[in-house]
Amino acid sequence: MPNSAGKRFKPTKYIPVSTAAALLVGSTTLFFVFTCPWLTKAISPAVPLYNGIVFLFVLANFSMATFMDPCVFPRANEDEDKDDDFRAPLYKNVEIKGIQVRMKWCATCHFYRPPRCSHCSVCDNCVEDFDHHCPWVNNCIGRRNYRYFFLFLLSLSTHMVGVFSFGLLFVLHHLEKLSALHTTVTLVVMCVAGLFFIPVVGLTGFHMVLVARGRTTNEQVTGKFRGGVNPFTRGCCGNVKYVLCSPLAPRYMVDPRKKPLVTLQPPFLRPDLSDRQLTIKVSDNGFHGNVLQTKSKSSLDGLDDKGLEVQPPLPPKAERYNQLKSQLTSSEESSLSSKPVHPSTPAMYKYRPTFGTIPKVHYHAAGEKSLAPDDCKTSAILEEGGRGHDYRSEPNLDLPDYRNAPLHRTFQSSPLQLDSFATNTRSLSLKQGHRQLAERPRLGGMNTETVTSTPYKSVFSPGTLSNRNGSLSYDSLLNPSVSPTVGECAVHPGVPSMGFHSPYLPTKMCHMRGAELHRQPPPSYSPVRVGGGLGRHSPHPRDPSPVRYDNLSKTIMASIQERKELEEKEKLMHMHSHPQAQMAYAADSGVFDACGDSLATSGVIGYGVRTPILRSSASSLARAPRTSSSSLHSDVTGGGSVQGRAADPPYRSPAHQAHHSPATTPRSPSYSHHKVSFISALERSDSPRMGSLREDVAHGKFNGQPKGHLGTSSSSPGTPLSPNRSTSVKKVSGVGGTTYEISV
Amino acid sequence: MRSAPRTAARRTTLPFYHQSFHNLQELRHNASLSNKVFVQRDYTEGTVCKFQTKFPSELDSRIERTLFEDTVKTLNNYYAEAEKIGGQSYLEGCLACATAYLIFLCMETRYEKVLKKISHYIQEQNEKIYAPRGLLITDPIERGMRVIEISIYEDRGSSGSSSGSSSTTCSSGR
Repeated sequence: MPNSAGKRFKPTKYIPVSTAAALLVGSTTLFFVFTCPWLTKAISPAVPLYNGIVFLFVLANFSMATFMDPCVFPRANEDEDKDDDFRAPLYKNVEIKGIQVRMKWCATCHFYRPPRCSHCSVCDNCVEDFDHHCPWVNNCIGRRNYRYFFLFLLSLSTHMVGVFSFGLLFVLHHLEKLSALHTTVTLVVMCVAGLFFIPVVGLTGFHMVLVARGRTTNEQVTGKFRGGVNPFTRGCCGNVKYVLCSPLAPRYMVDPRKKPLVTLQPPFLRPDLSDRQLTIKVSDNGFHGNVLQTKSKSSLDGLDDKGLEVQPPLPPKAERYNQLKSQLTSSEESSLSSKPVHPSTPAMYKYRPTFGTIPKVHYHAAGEKSLAPDDCKTSAILEEGGRGHDYRSEPNLDLPDYRNAPLHRTFQSSPLQLDSFATNTRSLSLKQGHRQLAERPRLGGMNTETVTSTPYKSVFSPGTLSNRNGSLSYDSLLNPSVSPTVGECAVHPGVPSMGFHSPYLPTKMCHMRGAELHRQPPPSYSPVRVGGGLGRHSPHPRDPSPVRYDNLSKTIMASIQERKELEEKEKLMHMHSHPQAQMAYAADSGVFDACGDSLATSGVIGYGVRTPILRSSASSLARAPRTSSSSLHSDVTGGGSVQGRAADPPYRSPAHQAHHSPATTPRSPSYSHHKVSFISALERSDSPRMGSLREDVAHGKFNGQPKGHLGTSSSSPGTPLSPNRSTSVKKVSGVGGTTYEISV
Repeated sequence: MRSAPRTAARRTTLPFYHQSFHNLQELRHNASLSNKVFVQRDYTEGTVCKFQTKFPSELDSRIERTLFEDTVKTLNNYYAEAEKIGGQSYLEGCLACATAYLIFLCMETRYEKVLKKISHYIQEQNEKIYAPRGLLITDPIERGMRVIEISIYEDRGSSGSSSGSSSTTCSSGR
């Protein structure tokens, strides 16, 4: 038994057990010596026999309860808790039969206590199925010895009843000789039995109720299931069976000499790397695991190619959605080689080359923001976003069957595919950054295409897009009718053309955008801004909003709306010089990527804006991922809020600042920038590149910068330079290796 | 045999000997422990002993997913069999009661029998599947049945992260 070193011998703790033992043995001995002989003669020899058996039973159970290991957990190895440092949450939630149970971190034993486990301060051990520490047996009552303790109580009660009644019988027959030795002794024994009868029988009855209910004393006393459901109950009969008939649990102390010897020698076999798959896990509070398997870069390449080449964009989207669905269900064998299915958000990923991580970032940010209220989801998204790698199997409570894990549960309202994809986009983007660069020219070529809004509408049906992670298109922000939090637009990261956008917009958005599109003659309006190298005219300073906001909170949406309005105003300022631009602005006001994907002319601004944000928040953001990674399955209710805490500040500041200006002032860019920076902080490798964009950004208009910058932007919304300065297109490498084409 | 320590340049020319080390300590001369993966318990069905079959990401490049899941599922089955409340466990309890639990001094309980089976199974899995891949499974009983600890070893002769080298390093004790 792992005891703390230097334990002193405390005689006081042995007093109750000594007293109990002495009383039990002594009284019974006296009973047998003084009372039983007469009883044998007067009634029958069966009386002492019966009493002897019961007493033997009492002793056996008493000994087992006293000396048996109650199922003590050995202290955890150092390796096991190396990641549970000071940032690890105190509690972890685990779901047992549909009921959330909290597991507490034991600082002494260095692990998260399993359900029903508790640390006994007297024994200084964590005990499995901890019932209580009984001073009368000087031992913890736990999983292994609870049955013996219960039987001890039962048998002791029976024994006391027997002793008392037979002693009474004796006394009644010897009333005339009360002062005789035998009678006196019998009276004394009767008094002892009668004295302890009430507490013992009371305790026995109490434990009989506990057994019937399937609770431990600890749970009953602390009132854990007072108003709720006990997830550990098996029904009354099942509970009784479990207590009395279950096999004896093993001890957890293993003889080290018995360790098997295994030879390990390199070289080691490795699985076939060609089948290696990127494992993307979406965890719900760390214990819902949904592993998405995606092919390596090659498959994503194919995905990108197909997506970029598809005209109209709608069909691929729907196709991808279905493919993603099937992919999720067969995650094990998922191979995206030939399918244009993108494990991540189909729309977002497809357009990542143009706007890179922006949509992805938003995705995360939105996802995080939206998940914050949900204790189950936040950690999931944060973990994904916080770590640049797959989920580590740290001590956590992931669900075993991730494949069937109901991702639906994890995410509120979105089809599970997109959610998981969203979270995976970040990790995926890291890997596809290069290819995105290669994809860019193609995107430019597509920009010339002008797609009407009609195809958009046809593509999207309400069900095709995941609401939550599907991200909310910027358009929806402008339309109150479209709830931002359940935006169904897929984020189009900086899709230059409206045509590109359309497939990923929800039906309603499509309608809206369609209306906008119809307002202007398609030929004159060149929605394709990104890839402005194709001669995009400066009149269209902004691209259709490729960025989608995923389930942003109302605060964020409000700020985004404000920003949009501000941008619209700014556009109007340049209307005189750019009539077309005005129309374009009006057309894609909803499409504007507030996330700073304003990679079009205004996008440059966003970029520059993002840089400082990135730097300023890099530290805090960098911490957030680690926090989330360290507390993989941290319970949001418990310490999981650490993740939220780290993540919230960056978001809150712009949001708060966004509120400075009236609602009409669009502030979303700053917020989105902030969110972008949050995610981009995870990919800090690209931050230097962002810094290089500073000069370009200087020209752009700043629509709200986080913290310090915000005031400037708010005070002079019109100060930012005209987004359309020249028709030159600047290629900027962004976060995550994505390349942005900004028409400067 | 060369008396000097084998250099990296010479390793490739050496014959590939299989030096059998029967001690985990000696293993470290060739392979060093690089990481440990912990497979946690699955509590969705209560406190029954069951481990998660989720494939840890760290093992992604070390072992096939199916092998790992088979191992965990087999272990789960073993534990379910050990903890099954049925006729045998009831009889065992009655017998123990009748003999004032003295029977435990002579007889092995059912759980202990299954634990032995599990131990043999893990040993066999280690020898056949995991050790050739540089992994070692630790019996969960040693960790209080809370986790399955899988130790990941790297070939010390290689650069730590390479996927196995064809050379064997000599014992550093030489």
